Amino acid sequence: MATVSLRAMQPQTADDLAPQPASDAGAPAPAPSVLLVESPAPAAKARADADPPLPSPVATALQWLREQALGLALGACSLAAMLLFWHLATTYRLDFYIRFTNLPTPMDVLQKFGEAMNSPKFITNVGMSLRRIAIGFAVAAVLGVGLGLLIGRYRLTRQLMFPAIEALRPIPAIAWVPISIMLWPDNEVSIVFITFIGAFFPILLNTVSGVQAVDAVLLRAGQCLGAREPQLMWHVVLPGAAPQVFTGLAVGMGVAWVSLIAAEMISGQFGIGYFTWEAYSLISYADIVLGMVTIGVLGLLCSWAIRLAGNVLLPWLQFSKSEGRT
Amino acid sequence: MNDRTAKGHIELRRLSMVFGSGHRRVQAVDEVSLYVAPGEFVSIIGPSGCGKSTLLNVVAGFTQPTEGDALLDGELIDGPGADRGVVFQQYSLFPWMSVRKNVEFGLRMQGVSPSKRETTARTLLGLAGLLAFENHFPDQLSGGMKQRVGIVRALATSPQVMLMDEPFGALDSQTRVVMQQILTNMWQRFRLSVLFITHDIEEAIFLSDRVYVMTARPGRIKAEIEIALPRPRNAEMMSSIEFTQILHKLRNLIREESLAAMGSELSDGGLEGFAIEVGAAGMKEMV
Repeated sequence: MATVSLRAMQPQTADDLAPQPASDAGAPAPAPSVLLVESPAPAAKARADADPPLPSPVATALQWLREQALGLALGACSLAAMLLFWHLATTYRLDFYIRFTNLPTPMDVLQKFGEAMNSPKFITNVGMSLRRIAIGFAVAAVLGVGLGLLIGRYRLTRQLMFPAIEALRPIPAIAWVPISIMLWPDNEVSIVFITFIGAFFPILLNTVSGVQAVDAVLLRAGQCLGAREPQLMWHVVLPGAAPQVFTGLAVGMGVAWVSLIAAEMISGQFGIGYFTWEAYSLISYADIVLGMVTIGVLGLLCSWAIRLAGNVLLPWLQFSKSEGRT
Repeated sequence: MNDRTAKGHIELRRLSMVFGSGHRRVQAVDEVSLYVAPGEFVSIIGPSGCGKSTLLNVVAGFTQPTEGDALLDGELIDGPGADRGVVFQQYSLFPWMSVRKNVEFGLRMQGVSPSKRETTARTLLGLAGLLAFENHFPDQLSGGMKQRVGIVRALATSPQVMLMDEPFGALDSQTRVVMQQILTNMWQRFRLSVLFITHDIEEAIFLSDRVYVMTARPGRIKAEIEIALPRPRNAEMMSSIEFTQILHKLRNLIREESLAAMGSELSDGGLEGFAIEVGAAGMKEMV
C-alpha cells in the first residue's frame, strides 16, 4: 500500500525537487541534475519563482530512495513476515508435524541478546571464533593465492601439484575433523586447520582460473616493456587475476565459516559454534537462536569486508564492461 | 635518413615459419628477407593470412623462426625486450593502471625513479594530447585514445625500434585518419625505425618510406616499393598525383594476391559469376 502512494506522488515531487531557474522564466533551463530532463518544462517554469532550488545531492538521494522504494518496502515486508510467523508460531506453540513447542519467541532471543552483550563468556566465544577465522582464512589466502599463481602460470608446478590437490579437494572440511584432532598438538590449532581447509580450495581454484584467464596480449605487452618473469607475475598476472581472486576470497570466507562452526560444534572449546551447541545441551533454547543469528551476522560482516576490500583495491572494475561489479 | 640514428637496424634473412606438422603442416612464411634501416618507416601489406603478423612476432621475440635469422643491429633476436616497442592491434593497456602508470610501466621495470618516470610519462602524454586523462583508467577512454596511450607507452622506454601490428585496425575510419597523422608527426619527431603491419594500402603509403607487398600463403615478398613522397606528410598529399600513382600500383599488386588468397575458397566459375576478372598472377597462384 505504502509503495503505491509513493509511486503516485512521483511526478509531482520530481517537479518540486528539480532545481529551477530562479531569474528568467523564459530562458532555457540548465540541467544540473538528471531530474530536470524528465520533468515537463512549462509546469516547471510556472513554478520557477515559487520554489527555491534544492541542492542537487539531496535531490539525487531522494531520487535514489524513490527508485529503491519498492525494493526496500518489499524487503522490509519479507523480513517482517518471517518475524511475524516466528512470533505467532512460538507464542501459540504451533504443532503440526513440525513442532514449535520448545522454540524461543523473538522477544526471548532479543532479551538474551541484551544479557549476552554484558556477558564476558559470550564475548569471549565470539572473539575466539573471529580469531580462528582470521588465522585460518589469512593462511588460506596467502597459500591459496601463492600456489594458485604458480599452478596457473607454470605447467611444471601444475603437473606436479594439481593431482594431489584434485584428490584432496572433494573431501569436505568437516570430514577432516577426526584426522585434524589426531594431527595437531592441540584443539585450537586443529579447529584453525579445519577453517583453513574450508577456505583454501575455493581461493586456490579461483586464483588458478583467474591466472589462466589473463589476456595473453597483456603478458606480451609486459614482456615487451621489459618485465622479467617475477615482475610480470607481480605487476601483470596478479592484478589481471585479481577480480577472480576476490571471487575466491568471498567464497572461501563463506566456506570458512561453515567449516569453523562445524568444527567448533564437534570438537570445540569456546567459539560461537560451541556456544550454540552447548546451549542445546543445556536446554537453553533462546541461546541456540542467539548463536545462530550471531553466526549469520558475523558471516555477513566478513563477506562485506571482503567485498569492500575488493572495491577499494580494484577501483578500475567499475569502468570495465566485462567484469563490472555493482 | 639511414645515418640519422646509428641503431635500430632490423634484418630478416631467408626467414621461414612452419606451424604444425604432418598433414596439418602450414607453411606461413617462406624465405622472407627484408630490412628496416635505422630511422626508416617500413610497412608490410598483404592479404589476410599471409603471415605478416608472424613476421612481426618474430621481430618482437614472441616466436622463433623455423628457418632463417632475425637480427636487430646485427644480433640474433631471442626474446622480447624493451629495446623494441610494440603496439598491438588489440588494446593492450593494463586495465588496473591509470593512463600515466601504463606509460610509466616500462621505465618502472628498468628501475627508473618515480619522479623521473612521471616526468617522462607526462611529457609524452602531453605530446599525444592526453595529459588531461593521465589519471583515468583505460576503460574510460575511447578506442583512439587507448591506442595513442599504447603508442606513447611503447615510446616511453626510448626503444630504437617500433613494431606496430595493425594498430588502427579496430578504429573507425575518421579516427584512423587522425591517428595516422598523429603517428607520422610523432615519427617525424622521434625518428625511430618502424615496422608497420597493415592491410590498408593508403595507410601504408601515407606513413612509409618503403612498403613490402606480401603474397598470399605461404607469405613471400612479392614487391618492394619506395614511397618517395616528401616529408613531413599531411592529409592533402593523399590526393596528389604521386600518391594516386603509387596507390594504383599497389592496389593491383594486392588485388592479385587477394584473389589468389580466395582461390581455395572460390572456383574459377564462382569468380566469373561475380564478374571478377582474375589476373594472370592471380590465376597462376590459384592453380
